[in-house]
Formats: sequence, structure tokens, C-alpha cells
Amino acid sequence: MWGWWRFGKWTVLIMFLHIIAILIFTKGFLLTRTELPHSSHCSDLSQSPCHSSSSSSSCWTKPAVDRLIIVILDALRFDFVAPSSVFEQKQPWMDRLKVLQRMALGNPSSAKIFKAIADPPTTSLQRLKGLTTGALPTFIDVGNSFGAPAIVEDNFVNQLIHNGKRVVMMGDDTWTQLFPNHFNKSYPYPSFNVKDLDTVDNGCIEHLLPSLHQQDWDVLIAHFLGVDHAGHIYGVDSTPMIEKLEQYNAVLVKVIEELQNQSGPGKFHENSLLLVMGDHGQTLNGDHGGGSPEELDFAVTVSSLLGVPFPFGSIGRVNPELYALAVGTWNLDDNKTWNNQDETKLEEWLQNYVNVLCTNSWQGPLHSLGGSITVRENFIDCIFPLKKYKYNSLSAMRCLVKRYIDVYSASSVIGFSSEDLFHISDLYAKAEENWSNLSLFESESSNTSLPVLKRQIVAYFEFLSYIAELARSKWTEFNLKMMGTGIGIMLLSLCCHILAIKKLNKSYGVSFLLSRDPGISFGLMLASFTVLMRSLSLLSNSYILKEGKVANFLLATTGIVTLRFSFMKNKMLLEAATFLLLTFIFRIAIDVGLYKQAATSQFMSASSSWKPGISISESLWTYMAEAVPIPALIILGYYLYKAVSSYCWGIAKCVTMGTILSYFLIVLHWISESNILDLAHFLKGYGKNYIPRTIYAIGLGQLLLLAFVPLLRKEEMSNYKGNLFVKMISILSACSSTVIILQGKQGALVALGTLLAGYCMMRLQGIEQHNVHGGAGISVLDPLPIVQWSLLALSVFCNWPLVDSSMGDLFHSSNVTLTVVGVSMCAFDGLRYGAAFIGFDEFVLAPQAILLTIDTFGFSHILSVFGLPLFVAFSSLFNQTEDRSLFSIKLFWIFMVYGLVTATTATATIVCVAIQRRHLMVWGLFAPKFVFDVVGLILTDILIFVASIYYF
Amino acid sequence: MEESEKSSQSTISSFQVFSIHVCRGLALAKPENCSYLKAISRGLLGLPVGALLNALGALALGAPVGLQYFERTISWTLLMSSLTFVPTACVYGSCWTDWHRIFACTKPKGPLDFMLCLPAHGAVIGAWFGAWPMPLDWERPWQDWPICVSYGAVGGYVAGMVGSLALALMRTGGKQLKAE
Repeated sequence: MWGWWRFGKWTVLIMFLHIIAILIFTKGFLLTRTELPHSSHCSDLSQSPCHSSSSSSSCWTKPAVDRLIIVILDALRFDFVAPSSVFEQKQPWMDRLKVLQRMALGNPSSAKIFKAIADPPTTSLQRLKGLTTGALPTFIDVGNSFGAPAIVEDNFVNQLIHNGKRVVMMGDDTWTQLFPNHFNKSYPYPSFNVKDLDTVDNGCIEHLLPSLHQQDWDVLIAHFLGVDHAGHIYGVDSTPMIEKLEQYNAVLVKVIEELQNQSGPGKFHENSLLLVMGDHGQTLNGDHGGGSPEELDFAVTVSSLLGVPFPFGSIGRVNPELYALAVGTWNLDDNKTWNNQDETKLEEWLQNYVNVLCTNSWQGPLHSLGGSITVRENFIDCIFPLKKYKYNSLSAMRCLVKRYIDVYSASSVIGFSSEDLFHISDLYAKAEENWSNLSLFESESSNTSLPVLKRQIVAYFEFLSYIAELARSKWTEFNLKMMGTGIGIMLLSLCCHILAIKKLNKSYGVSFLLSRDPGISFGLMLASFTVLMRSLSLLSNSYILKEGKVANFLLATTGIVTLRFSFMKNKMLLEAATFLLLTFIFRIAIDVGLYKQAATSQFMSASSSWKPGISISESLWTYMAEAVPIPALIILGYYLYKAVSSYCWGIAKCVTMGTILSYFLIVLHWISESNILDLAHFLKGYGKNYIPRTIYAIGLGQLLLLAFVPLLRKEEMSNYKGNLFVKMISILSACSSTVIILQGKQGALVALGTLLAGYCMMRLQGIEQHNVHGGAGISVLDPLPIVQWSLLALSVFCNWPLVDSSMGDLFHSSNVTLTVVGVSMCAFDGLRYGAAFIGFDEFVLAPQAILLTIDTFGFSHILSVFGLPLFVAFSSLFNQTEDRSLFSIKLFWIFMVYGLVTATTATATIVCVAIQRRHLMVWGLFAPKFVFDVVGLILTDILIFVASIYYF
Repeated sequence: MEESEKSSQSTISSFQVFSIHVCRGLALAKPENCSYLKAISRGLLGLPVGALLNALGALALGAPVGLQYFERTISWTLLMSSLTFVPTACVYGSCWTDWHRIFACTKPKGPLDFMLCLPAHGAVIGAWFGAWPMPLDWERPWQDWPICVSYGAVGGYVAGMVGSLALALMRTGGKQLKAE
């Protein structure tokens, strides 16, 4: 055991470093917020101090408008709307939505332009959630990848339904995902295809104008996507963008005309509010906005209130402010125009406003923080005429606030610190105090109350902005310090890795009596270059999407270089050529898999542009797919049998025989599943579940046997080299049957291909150094085959035509689907949930989680780590001169290098995630990739640990 | 329509390149060893062979497969072949040892070998690097399959030419110095 510890301590150390680094980084990166299931009701208000107890017919506040039309223009930049004179430079995309400017300038009492700034994440789904719930958008919606991302929190649409309002929706189908059962009528159009600028918009236009004539709705939501898509594809400064904006202008002109025509007394648009807004902005090249000032997201609100006299003149102002408040963004500058208002109106308005604010701050602690603010009241009902107020006692109020905060901190994952909470309640108390003073003043005279009201507003502002600030710092800001620390520890672990490898190198050189330092060989250079390129490629989302292709490209590159060397040495040409051919086959398999995936995928209908020219007739293809894996498996079994009969004995023989039995069972299972042979029909009833379960049982039994028998019975250690080979064969065979049945039919082919490729690599290792060391090439430490091995594992892993429902959801959450469809994604793009149900009918958590893990990491991690001694074991069979310690050093060296490759890649992913944390696709692409890589890294560490114990 | 135009343009350009390279190969080929006619025929024979090898390499590395890419791939392989294979084929014909020396061992002897070896390697390496921008989602027209790879190849080729020229000059300069 001491011998193991000599090098094994390094694996343990590195594993702990990795775990610590990843934990710290993840804590800084993955911010979560608890969603509170509470929703507010009309009765809640009776506890509020702000409101008159002699309540009117309305629920919280009296409705000011009867109908509301919300037009959402996706990714509307502020400078699309605002007059170009506001900005320093006139850009071609400015001044395109003239009708809004005209409305705002020509009729300032009824229309207004506002500017809002959105927090990250600025994808449509999160913004819509933010808009409707009034809460800060959540980062990780755990439920998201498992099903429809319907909003569970209290929200504005929900409240509308509860209060008997009828909602009509048209446009982006994200809305129907968020609110599956809420709309009276909906005309959703798919938002998948970014290249399609017009479908959604034309659908909207088609339904929008007729709907204006109908009476059967109270709230109408129209969501236009064209600008966003145009921005993504062509950039802001492009003709399609300008055409799109002009089209919108025309539509808005029509809508406004329609509304104005109908806005006379008695007509049904007498009391309607039109709200035009963007959900987020975009950068100049069309990405959604992020942190830097240029990228600030503008949610523009133009409220035009039509045909209604005074009290509603202020609606345009109150509304967006409240709205902005609900989004968690507050822009005080917008409010500076107050002074222009007529004095008396101002006063009335201010009192309205104070009242609204009071309601708002009352619900603030619970709703704004807890995530269930009801914007509905703010949107529609909050504007109410001046009233006399009666107030509850201040002490009752304090109790309430305290209760909310308690509720929240009890249920929250990330609690607020007690000082923060104290500060909040302090501010609130202050605001409330003013309020009660105000009530005294008001009874005396209305003239004196104006400054008081103003002060009151300031107090509320302070309170609310403090809360918003606090909440944002907790939920929407990454903890850069922790992320930096995590990356730092990760780099440290890389250094440790390299140090360990150096040490191993040294002791290897000493024991091999190699006096001179081998120096930097070409193989080392090529290997590090390949790993470097792969790590760098992770910094861009495009390469992550095409990770399989990148891996294959690099693999083929190493293959070509090896072929060149074998030409140079004039030996092992066959192996090099076979290896290259295999990479070619893998690469074709990726394409074909994609083709199949695309053909079966629902997305394909949307983007027919990506079709490989291969036109294999479908029936022939399926027949091939059914039939070919079976001989492959039989060949595999045959080789296993040969290996067993020539080298193995005892336990190992027992284990491999079990595997061969499993292979037969797998073949039986496939036959029973396929429809080609009818004779298997009778098997279906039994075979479907029992065969896989038997295979799992055999696999488990084999593993147990392998784990415990050496402990009980001290085997003869005389023939260590043969022993290593036998060990490898038996563990691989024990794992392989389960992995193959989980992976399905391609599993057998891939296993065969991997085996062949591994054999070629093993033969080719150190080929460029052969003549240097004069025939002792086998004992030269060459990192190239290990890098090739890891690339192979990756590209094999990416081989799966992963069709999964979760993929759709995943990309929905980022709205921009790009042409993801036609792209091989090796990352976390979809656990193959189907695999978890092989051998089971209903969902049982524990076994299926295990199966899913085996399926996801089977080839890429488990088999590849256990297969690593291939590079030593085979040579051990041919070369009888080396002694045992040398072998163990070499074994450790191989494990270390493999670990280093994995860790480097994972570090690159982590750095990339940290850099791209404001990227549009961060939650759709980078975060899943991060999770996958990190889990893979830890799994690799653990497996290396286990394998090094097992093999030692 | 645009695509076919593009590919036909690139076909034309590859033929132009080919003729230029045959000329260059002719210029390099020593007249005492073989006649110009023989060199031209060697170059013509070398062109499809080199194209085939380049195509195999490109396909293994992940060039798109499919009928609609067929024409473009052919054009590109012809271009690559004329950058890498044709000059050597013109000069050395099918002499295996010379090919082995230049391409497998990279041990060029004398300025002539440098002129053959460096540009060919440069073209291949340039094409390899030229492939990297292809998967990026910039949606630029030049990201289509053979375009940026061709740019990379030509760039690498030019770099190789300059390098070989510089090396040849240095060598001759060194020799002259020695002679003096």
C-alpha cells in the first residue's frame, strides 16, 4: 500500500484541489433565488395602512383604464424610439419609429417615452418573467430543463385571470410556454428560427388590427420578434433592420389611428391604454445587451392614453415608473420633468402617486423580494382618483414588514444579512412616519401638503431603491471574487499536476537508467499544442456547439501527423492509415447522426437549409442500423473470448465469460426490440425488462467480484504484466455490457471502433522517437496517444444523435435558437432520458439516476479511464524485460497525463464561463457545458483514483 | 446562382494557379534532367493525384460531405494540389526517395528543395489554420466551406515562398561569403 501512496497521494491532492476550486467557483457563479409560491389577494389590502378601508369596487386600486394593449417589440433599443436629437450622432437606425415620437411630442399629456435599463440575464424568457412577475429574473430555473417553463410565481397575467380579465395574446410562443392556460385566445408563432424575420410579425399584424374591433378582451398582448432576429442575423446597422422598423412604424400608425377613431365617448376604446415596449435591448452587432454602458438594455415605454381627460394624463408617467420598479430598475432621471406640471394637477397627481407608492412599498418586502409582486395592480388599477385616506396604526405596519422579511429569510436559500434587514425596516419605518405626519397635514389644508408629499415620495423612493439595489446585488451580480478564487485554485491544481508529472518523469528516468533528460519531444509539443487549441476553442460558443467536430479535427490532425511519421520511418503504415480511416468514419458518423437527428427532429421543418446531400433511402438505412450492430457485438465477443482463452485464468475468466453471456443477452434484447423478425414476438413480454435487468445484475456481480476477490485471496504476483492485462480486460468487459445496452445499437459499433483505434494508437505511440532510443520505444513516455485517447473519447461521445425534448427547452430559455438544430452538441445538451428507462417501466429515482450517469459518462469517462492501461498493458505482453515498479510509474504517469488533459479542458471551460458570464447564451449553453465538464472532471478524478488502486 | 458563380470563379482561379505553378515547376525543373514537355505531363499527372490526397485529408479533417459541396471541394482540392503537389511533381516526377525526403522527412537539400518544400508545407498549415474561423457563427459569406481555407492556404503558401526565398538568399549569401 505504501507503494501506491507514493504516487497516489498526488491523485488525492489534485482531486481535493479540484473539488474545492469547483465548489468555490460554482458558489460565485450559479446564483439562485427561491421562488415563493405565495400570491396576493384582494383581501391582503385590508392589512395595508395606505388604503382607505371604505373600499371602492376595485380590488387594490381603482382601475383607470378599461382596456390595455401591450405591444412588445423584442429587443427594442432606446435609440430606435427616441428622437435622434437626443444622441450625439445620428445613426441610420434612428428615427424610424416616427409615429411614437410624434405621439410623444404632439401630445405630451397623453404620450411619453421612457427609458428603462434591464438587468442580466437579458434573454426574452427571463425578461418576460421579470416583466410579468415583477421580480428579478431567476437565473437557474431548475424545473426548466425538465418540462415547460411555466411560471409558478404570482404574476400579472395570473392576477388578470383571477380578476376576470380576458387576455388575448399574439406573437412569440414563449408567452404560451410561460402561461400555458392563461389566455382566452392566443395566436402563438414559433420563435425557433432566427433566420425567419417575418412569420411571427406577419401573424401578429394579421390578428392585431381585427382584434382591435372586437370586444371580447380586456388586455391584448402582441409580441413582435422581427427586430430581435434581424439584429441577431444582420446587426443593428443593416437594411433588414431598418425595413423591420419601418414596418413596425406602419403597424403602429394603423393601431393608433384605429384607437383614436374609436376613442370617442361611448366607443369601446374610450378608456384604453396603449403600451409599446421592448423587453430588452441589443448591442450594435445584435447580441442581447449586457453590462457595459453601450449595451445597456432599454425597455422603452411609450404610453399613449387616448381620449380621456385629466387624471389620466399622469398615467403615462406613473405606469412606466411602476413598471420599471417592478423590473427592479429605477431611473430617477425620468422623473425630473415633474416641475413642468400644472401646480394643482401636480398636487393631485402626487397624492395619487404617493398612494401608489405606498401600496408598492407595502408589498415591496414580500413581493418585490419574494418574487410575487403583482404588477397587475400597478399596471391597471393603481391609478385612482384623489381620496381621503384613513390610516392604520404605524405599529401594525411594522409588524407586517417584519413578518414579510421573516417569511422571506426563512424560505430563502441566500438569506440577507441581518444588517441589511435592519436597514430595510428602518427605512420603511421612516417612510411610514412621514406618511402618518402627512395624514395630519392633509386634514388641515391641501396647500401645505405639497412639499410633504414630495418628501414622502423621496422617502419611499429611498426605501424601494434600496431594496432593489440590495436584491440586485444578491441575485443578479456574480460574485467575481469567488469566481476568481476558484479559477486560481484550478490553476494551482494544474501546476500540481504538472509538478507530479515531472516527478514521475524523473523517477521513471532514474529507474530506467536514463541519464540524459529526454527534453521536449515532438510528440510532447504536438500534444500540448492540441490540448491548447482545444482549450482555446472552448472560449467561443460556436466551438462549443461544434465540439465534436473540433475534437475530430484535432484527432485527425494528430492522425495525419502520425501518418507522416510512419511514412518517415516506413513502418506501421497500416496502423496509421487505419487510425486515420477510423477518425474519418467517426466523423461521417457524426454527420449521418446529425442528418438522422435533423430528419426526425421537429425543428427540421423550420430550417430545411441544412441537409446533407447523402440521400440514403430510409428503409435501407433503418435496416442497416438494425442489423449491423449485431455482428459488431459478435466480433467484440469473439475477441474477448480469444483474449480470455489465451491469457486469462481464474476470476478473470469467470468475469469475461459473464460478459460474453451478457453480449448474447444484448443481442437477444435488440432482436426482441426490432420489428424485423417476427419470431421474437413472443419474447417481448418477458424480454423487455428482464433481459436488461439481468445484464445489470451480471455487471454488478462482475464488479463486486473484481473488487472483493483480490482482497480475500492473495493472487500470485509473479506475472505482474500479464496480470495487468487481465485486469484491464476483465474490468472493461464488466463495464462494457451495461454501457453498450444503455447506449443502444451504436454502442457496439462505437466500442469496436474505439478498441481498434486504441490498438492503433498503442502501436503507434512514440513512433517519432523509435530510432532515437533504438527499439526501446515502448518504454518512452509519450503523451500524444493519451491526448488522442481523450479526444477520441470526446468525439465518440459526441457521436450520439442526441434527440431530446430537453434540448428544445434548453434553447427556448435563450430564445435565440440559432441554427442549433443542425449542429452537433456534445455538451450537456440533453441527457438521454430514454436510456434511463431501459429495463424499467416506471420512474424510480435511484437506479435511474445511476443508469443516466452511466449512459452519459459511459464511454467518455468510465471506459476511457479504465481503458487507459491499454498503452502499458499490451506492451507488457510483448516486452518481458521491464520490472514492476517501472510499470506502476508508467501507469501513474498515464493516469496523470490523462487527468491533466481533462483538467486543462475543464479549466478552460471555467475561464470561458467566467468571461462569457454576460453572454446571451450563458444559461443556454455555457452553464450546461460548465456543469457537464465539471461533473466530468470530478468523475474522472474519482475514476482515476479508483483505477489506480485497482490496477496497482 | 451566386454560389455556382463563386465556385466557377474559384475553378477558374485554380486553373490559373495551376498554370502558374506548372510554369514555376518548369522554371525550377532543370532542363538537363528532363524536357519541359515531360515536366508538364508530370504536373498534369500530379494534379489529380495530389487532389485526391488533399481531398482525403480534408474529408478526414471534417470537410463537409454532400453533393452540393462536391464541386467546391473539387475546386479546392485542385487548388491545393497545384499549390503543394504540382511543383514537386514537375521537378521530381515520381521519384519516391525525393518525395520522401521533402515531404516525410522535411530535409530539403539546396534552394530548389526549399522552394518546393516550404511553400507546400506553408499551404497545408495555412489551410489548417484557415479552417478555424469556419464554425464561428458570424454568418459571413466567406465562412463558407472552401473560401477561408483557400485564403489560409494561399497565405501560408506566400509565407512559405517568402521564407524559402529568404533562406535561399541567406544560403547563397553565406556561400558567397565563404567563397570570398
